[in-house]
Amino acid sequence: MLICESYHVPKTLEEALRLWGDAPDGSRLVSGATDILPWAREGRAGDVEIPALIDVTKIPELKGYSCDKGRIRLGAATVYQDFLTDRTLMSNLPCMPYCAIWFADDQIREQATVVGNLVNASPVADGTPPVVALNGEIELTRLEEGDVKRRTVPVVDFIEGPGRTLIQPGEIATAVTVDSAYGYGGSFQKVGQRRSLVISVACCAALVRADSTGTMFEDVRLALGGVGPRPIRLRDAERRLKGERITQELIQRVAESAADSVGSRSRKEYRRDVVVNFVRAGLEEALANQPEIGAKFKNFGETENA
Amino acid sequence: MPKIDLTMDVNGRKVVKQTEPHKRLLDFLREDLNLTGTKEGCGAGECGTCSVFVDGKLVKSCLMPAAKADGAKIETIEGLARPGSLTPVQQAFHKTGASQCGYCIPGMVMAATSALRENPDAGIEEIKERLGGNICRCTGYTKIFEAVEIARDVIAGRLPETALDEDATGESFIGANVRRLDAPSKVSGRLKYAADMKMVDMLQMQVLRAPMPHARIVSIDTSEAEAMDGVACVITADDVPGTDGFGVFIHDQPIMARGKVRHFGEAVAAVAAEDLVTARRALAKIKVEYEELPGIYAPEDALKPGAPVIHDYAQDNVIKHIPIRKGDIDKGFAEADLILEDEFRTQQVEHAYLEPEAGIAYVDHDDVVTVLSPSQNITHHRHMLAHILDLPINKVRFIMSPVGGGFGGKEDMIYQGMLALAAMKTHRPVQLNFTREESLVASAKRHPSRVKYKMGLKWSGEITAIEFDMLSDGGAYGMSSEGVMRKAAILSCGPYEVHNLKVDTKVVYTNNTPSGAFRTFGGMQAQFATESMMDMAAEALDMDPFELRRINMMRIGSRTHTQQELTTASLDRVLDAAEAASRWEAGAPKVRGPRRGDLGGPDARKPCTLGARIGDAADTETKDERVAS
Repeated sequence: MLICESYHVPKTLEEALRLWGDAPDGSRLVSGATDILPWAREGRAGDVEIPALIDVTKIPELKGYSCDKGRIRLGAATVYQDFLTDRTLMSNLPCMPYCAIWFADDQIREQATVVGNLVNASPVADGTPPVVALNGEIELTRLEEGDVKRRTVPVVDFIEGPGRTLIQPGEIATAVTVDSAYGYGGSFQKVGQRRSLVISVACCAALVRADSTGTMFEDVRLALGGVGPRPIRLRDAERRLKGERITQELIQRVAESAADSVGSRSRKEYRRDVVVNFVRAGLEEALANQPEIGAKFKNFGETENA
Repeated sequence: MPKIDLTMDVNGRKVVKQTEPHKRLLDFLREDLNLTGTKEGCGAGECGTCSVFVDGKLVKSCLMPAAKADGAKIETIEGLARPGSLTPVQQAFHKTGASQCGYCIPGMVMAATSALRENPDAGIEEIKERLGGNICRCTGYTKIFEAVEIARDVIAGRLPETALDEDATGESFIGANVRRLDAPSKVSGRLKYAADMKMVDMLQMQVLRAPMPHARIVSIDTSEAEAMDGVACVITADDVPGTDGFGVFIHDQPIMARGKVRHFGEAVAAVAAEDLVTARRALAKIKVEYEELPGIYAPEDALKPGAPVIHDYAQDNVIKHIPIRKGDIDKGFAEADLILEDEFRTQQVEHAYLEPEAGIAYVDHDDVVTVLSPSQNITHHRHMLAHILDLPINKVRFIMSPVGGGFGGKEDMIYQGMLALAAMKTHRPVQLNFTREESLVASAKRHPSRVKYKMGLKWSGEITAIEFDMLSDGGAYGMSSEGVMRKAAILSCGPYEVHNLKVDTKVVYTNNTPSGAFRTFGGMQAQFATESMMDMAAEALDMDPFELRRINMMRIGSRTHTQQELTTASLDRVLDAAEAASRWEAGAPKVRGPRRGDLGGPDARKPCTLGARIGDAADTETKDERVAS
C-alpha cells in the first residue's frame, strides 16, 4: 500500500522544480503513476510511506509535442496511447505504434508516459529501444539560482543500468526529443511470459528505409532491450545493411552476428536465439510496413516489384 | 492524517470532498462516494474490474491517485444509464448472459462502452483488443464478445432495438440466449459483494501472515499494536474460546496458526482498527519469534522414512489413501500383447476468481455471531464455527454474499473465523477484504499430482489391465483433499471398461500452500494421464485414437471401476460429435504439426496478434503530416 503525506500537482515547471528541490527525502515524482502503485504492494516494496508525491502531468509545457528541424519533442506528459491515435506521431515515429500496441492495454496506455518509462530505467522497458532507434535525447531540467536550466542527454547513455540513470537530484525529465522517421517502415518485437499485457523478457525496435524500388537499404535503425543492463543500439548491424541490396541471406547473416550483443547473464543462450529472430523479423516487418514503396515484403523472399 | 480537497464532476454531479492524499481514484469512488459498482480485483492494473472514464478516456482507477483526477469529469458504471434503465451495451450483456459471477462485468461493460465510443464500427478483432485489459474467469469471453457486437450493430442502426430483447425459446433452452434473472444488477454495478458493503461503526481487519513455510511460534507480542490509537483489537489463536479446527473432511486447520505455522502466508495474528492504514501500521508492530523447522516441499519427500512430521495426528504425513481393486491385474498384464508405462505430472493452479475473499462479521442484538462472506459452503462453515466459538448453533449465523467467482476456491473457511473472533471481542462490525496477493498466498490451490501409469493392451486395442498410482501434494492442511482423491480414483481410468485394474490415489501433507477444491475435483489430473496414455497407446498400436476409444468405451451394461452397472451410456455419441466437430483426420496419430490437414480451421483459435487498428489508420493517412526538416 502506498501512503503519502501530501500530493502536489504543480501548475508550472518552476513550481514543480521548487517543490522537488525542497521535497523531503523519499519523496517521488510521478507522471502516469502506473508503475509506482503496483510497486508499493506485497511481494515488491510492500507498504511504503512517502512524504510527498509530485505530479508533473498538469504542467502545460510538459503536455503535447512540437516539431522542429526533423526532430520531435515529446513532452513528458505524452502517453503511449498518443502513438495509436495521433496521425502525425504515427507517421513520423513509425516504430512507436507497434511498440504501443504491445505495451500494457488501452487503459494503462492512457496514463503511462514514455518519459516515465525511460526514467524508471527498467532494462526491459518497452519504450527504450524505439526511442534509442529514433536517436532520442532526454531533456533534464533543474533550477539554478532561481533560473530554469536544461540539458539533454542521449537516451542510450542516460540509462546506466536497472533503475540507474544520469538524472541528478533536483532534476526533472521534461521531454524526450526524437528523429522524425517519416517514410520509414517501423516494427517492434517483444517476447514475454505470455503474448498480451506482459512485461518483456526482451524487445527490439527496427526502422528501415528502402529506396523507392525496394531493392536497397537506404537507412536502418535497430535497438534492443532486455538483453543487458542498458539499451543496445546495433550500430554494427546497421552499418552492414546500409547501402546494401536487400536479400534474405544478408538479413540472416546480420541477424546472426547480432546475437553477440547479448550481455545478460541469465538465460543467455535463449536470449541469443531471441535476438537473431528479432533482428530478422524486425527488419522484414519494418520493410513490409514501409509506406509508399514499390515493393512490398508481405511474403518476404527475393523482392518483387509491384 | 492530512487531508486534501478534491472537486470532480462524477456522473454529471459536482462532488466536493476532503480525503486522504494517498487515496487512489478507486478508493475515493468506493469509500468516499459509495460508488461500489467499480470493483477492486487486483489493485495492480491487471484485471480491469476498476475501469472508469476520466475526462472521456477509460482508465484503471486502481492505478490513478485520486488527486490526479481533481477537476476531472468522471463517469462510472452507475452513470452510464438513468436509474431504472440500461444502455444498449448493458442490455446486450443481459441478453447474451454475458454476466456470470458478475464481478468483472461493470469493468467489462465500461471497456465495451469505451471500445464503441472510440470506434463505433470496430470489428471483432479490435473489440477483443480494446477489451484486452479486462479479465473474466467465468465466461470464456464468447458471450461478452457476442454482446458487444450486438450492441455495436444496434447503436449503428444495423440491427433493430428488438435485437436486445430476449430470444424466443421453443421446445428447448439449449442454443438460445436465456436471460439470467440477476443480470440487470450485475451489468449496472448495483449488486453488492461483501467488499461493497458497509456497516455503521465498522472496523477494518488486516492479517499478519507467516514469512516462512514451517516454523514453531516461540512467542507473539501484540502489546505495541494493541496500544496504538485507532486499534480496536488484536487477535491470535489464544483468543479462540472453543475447539479450534476446520476443514471439509478433517478439522486439522486452526483459524490462525496455533503453536506453529505450516505454510508461507498462513494467518498468525489479525488487527481490527478504525481504518485500513491504522490496521496496516499496527501489523508492523506485532512481534513474532519463530524457530524455523525443516519442511517438506515435494510429496515424495513426505513419505520418506524420517521425514518431518507436519501434523502430530498424521505421523506418516498421509491425509488420505483411496485404493480401488477390480479383477486380477497380474492376469490382465499376462494377457497383454503390449504394456506401456509412463509418468504424468500436473502443477499447482490458482482459481484466480476476480473477487478476492472478503467478509463482514458482527454480533447482533440477540448475541448471534453473524458472518457475511462469499462462502461456497455456509452450512458446514456454520457448524464448524459454532464448535470453534463454543456457541450453540442458533447463536452462529452465516450469510452468503454474492460470490464473485469461486470455482471451488471459496469452500474453505480460511478467514471467517478471524472476523467472528474480532467482532465478538469488539462488539463492532469488522470487515476484511483480501488483497489479490493475499488471496494468492492464502487460498487453496489445485492439487499438483504425479501419476505412475501402466497399461496392458491387446493388438486389437482392448485394454487388459491398468495400474494407476497417483500421489498428490495436499499442502499444509487437509481441506477438500479426501474428496479430491475419491473423485480422482473413481474417474481414474476414464470412461473405459477395464476388467482388471489397481488404482491408488494418495494425498500427503507438505509445507506448500494447501490444495483444495478446484473444478473437476481431481478428475482433470486423472484424465490428463489417462487420455495421454490412450493417445500414446493408439500411436503404439498404429490405430486411430477414436477407434481405440470406441473399442474400450463403457456401454450400457458395463461395470465402472467401482463396479456399478451402467444403465445409460453416451460416450459413443460424444465421440462421434467430437470427431465431426474437430474435422478429425482418420488414422494413427503419427502426423503432427503443419502437415495435419485438420488444424487451423475456421473455428480454431489463432495466436494472439495485436494491431488491427494500426493498419486501418495507415489506410486513411493523409500526406501533410510530415515534419519539416
